Amino acid sequence: MKLDTTGMESAAPVWGSHNELVDEFSAAPSFELPNTTDFDGFQKEAIQMVKPAKGTTTLAFIFKEGVMVAADSRASMGGYISSQSVKKIIEINPYMLGTMAGGAADCQFWHRNLGTKCRLHELANKRRISVTGASKLFANILYSYRGIGLSVGTMIAGWDETGPGLYYVDNEGGRLKGMRFSVGSGSPYAYGVLDNGYRYDMSVEEAAELARRAIYHATFRDGASGGVASVYYVGPNGWKKLSGDDVGELHYRYYPVMPSTVEQEMVEVTGA
Amino acid sequence: MSIFEYNGSALVSMVGKNCFAIASDRRLGVQLQTIATDFQRISKIHDRVFLGLSGLATDAQTLYQRLVFRHKLYQVREERDMKPVTFANLVSALLYEKRFGPYFCQPVIAGLGDEDKPFICTMDSIGAKELAKDFVVAGTASESLYGACESMFKEDMEPEELFETVSQALLSSVDRDCLSGWGGHVYVVTPTEVKERILKGRMD
Repeated sequence: MKLDTTGMESAAPVWGSHNELVDEFSAAPSFELPNTTDFDGFQKEAIQMVKPAKGTTTLAFIFKEGVMVAADSRASMGGYISSQSVKKIIEINPYMLGTMAGGAADCQFWHRNLGTKCRLHELANKRRISVTGASKLFANILYSYRGIGLSVGTMIAGWDETGPGLYYVDNEGGRLKGMRFSVGSGSPYAYGVLDNGYRYDMSVEEAAELARRAIYHATFRDGASGGVASVYYVGPNGWKKLSGDDVGELHYRYYPVMPSTVEQEMVEVTGA
Repeated sequence: MSIFEYNGSALVSMVGKNCFAIASDRRLGVQLQTIATDFQRISKIHDRVFLGLSGLATDAQTLYQRLVFRHKLYQVREERDMKPVTFANLVSALLYEKRFGPYFCQPVIAGLGDEDKPFICTMDSIGAKELAKDFVVAGTASESLYGACESMFKEDMEPEELFETVSQALLSSVDRDCLSGWGGHVYVVTPTEVKERILKGRMD
């Protein structure tokens, strides 16, 4: 009886050792197939399993004086608020900032990784990396992990030789250059305020107030955003943190409680 | 998120010395989006019985309207107000009638019974009563509320101290919940008066 040997072949090729570099060019182009039963749907399943809801509000915009970057500070797990004091603006190096939206661990790790790569670029090329270059590096890393379930929705903001730069990069591998972005579950609300009040020629104070207001309005309407509204400014000399205001206090500063007129007042009756 | 967390809510009621307090948050949302910050979750059935309804807002409104109707009929027939224990039984029966297609609400009932003895109770969505001597909680922030009440509650508090305790417990709990908060609404009821207060809370 002939033994059925399907499934029993070994995975590793038997003959000789390889030179990795040569192999890639000489072999016919091919894709590695995933080892799964559901070829079409497994990617989606993997993402859904790990998917945190990108509950946050971050925004960044370019204006005449540079780049303004702002974010809230709430971390939520479903309905539970796990922290009100998360740093969502990550300092990649003294002239570049990244914002965090999505999985906290993913953003923190890969931003630090990007900082490392930027420093290596500086040492190898004796000049700072451009914002274009840094965001491209980041986008390529994320593209290579596409489908695995990373959750990263970030903006890379910085100032290089060509002036201010702002890119949006996400875990799907998308990379967009732009003047105004907002990322997260609170972004629709932030866009409403940001788009309405934006002008290219604003002063630093006006731009900071616009960013702060946009974050505040997003924290008011969105349940997954809140805590502290941090505002950073990136200028020709690098980034600087401008303010970190608690949004609970901001609300009563923007909308103070007016004592309402008394309609009927009760008084103690003395005597009979 | 489950259907109970669709609108978001927080309710708490505490017993004091010949008085009780019932408090709720003021947010009405659609999942994460906040729609209103002045939503009424607590209603007066009559001067000595208050009803708070957490959970799905549409079911809360409908259930409230049905209960007001039943209470008015009772008033016409019996020519008096319902006692809190009786009212709780009515709510429980009404909820169990819909056992296999329930209202997605958790009521909190608070009232002053015979001899001005305070009465509080809560129920699950199909009418299982939970009577308590100290406090009851309901809503999306209920776990945080249990913790806060457990640590802050003392027996036989006077109305002013009871108000402070209930307010602190409510505000600190909803500050850990994305789906409730945006202010607070507290009723403190004694045999002679009802004090209604709005709390300034974090609006995020």
